[in-house]
Amino acid sequence: MPDYGQIPVGTGTLDARLVLGLGALLFILGTIGVLIRRNPLVILICIELMLNAVNLTLITFAAQLRNLEGQLFALMTMTVAAAEAVVGLAILVDIFRVRDVDDVDELSELKG
Amino acid sequence: MIVPQLVFWVMAVIAVLGGVGVIASRQPIRSVLSLVAVMLALSVIFLELSAQFVFAVQVIVYAGAVMVLFLFVVALLGPMRERATGRLRFQWWLGILVALVFGGFLYGMLNGLRFRAPAKVDLSFFGTVQQIAAGLFTTYLYPFELTSLLLLVAAVGAIYLSRGGRTASEIQREEEDRSA
Repeated sequence: MPDYGQIPVGTGTLDARLVLGLGALLFILGTIGVLIRRNPLVILICIELMLNAVNLTLITFAAQLRNLEGQLFALMTMTVAAAEAVVGLAILVDIFRVRDVDDVDELSELKG
Repeated sequence: MIVPQLVFWVMAVIAVLGGVGVIASRQPIRSVLSLVAVMLALSVIFLELSAQFVFAVQVIVYAGAVMVLFLFVVALLGPMRERATGRLRFQWWLGILVALVFGGFLYGMLNGLRFRAPAKVDLSFFGTVQQIAAGLFTTYLYPFELTSLLLLVAAVGAIYLSRGGRTASEIQREEEDRSA
């Protein structure tokens, strides 16, 4: 049985498992960042890192299956990420106009 | 030839170092610049995986526009240093634990992966602008139009959120001006 995981790249090949592993590693780094950092701006940046890792996975599978849908989906993800960044940063700036926040745990006014 | 693997490894090392820099640096500006490095490294890997259009979009839109927006906000809000200790101190260990368990799941999935046979496609045309456009404007026309609606809603929402509302002291001053 041939190894379908080898993606032809130029004159050589690239193992899809390596690229998928890189995507998983970057996603986990982003997860750690979201969980342990407390600066709201850095949390947004870590979410962007996770979205990039997902894009890498989508494009790897698109190249392995020779199916363009993965790339189209990656473009949609980029659009959603841009919208998310815009709205998230607007909310952040709005909060900072009222008071300085250097820890998201300080934003607990809605606690019942 | 060894060149594709070499390029991949160099870019992968840059991306992982950048990712560590994103979560480890104390100043937000360093996190943003590390993320730009990650994005540029990933864009080269996109190019290797024959995604030329996504490569261009990644460099222009993501690294160029979205990250500049982040830089503007960092510059607007000024330097924000994180205090060494927060209110929820167990959060750190719990976060690492959750990430490790999640990483174990991902590793298991990666090991059990069985690749399907790829479709027979001419790779010299795969991922070009023409092919992307043919996909976006025929099969996926409705999702494509919906993303434009999403962007419109996001733009309106951002303008609404950041439209400098008047503070209480400003309203009081205006009333004093009117009565004077």
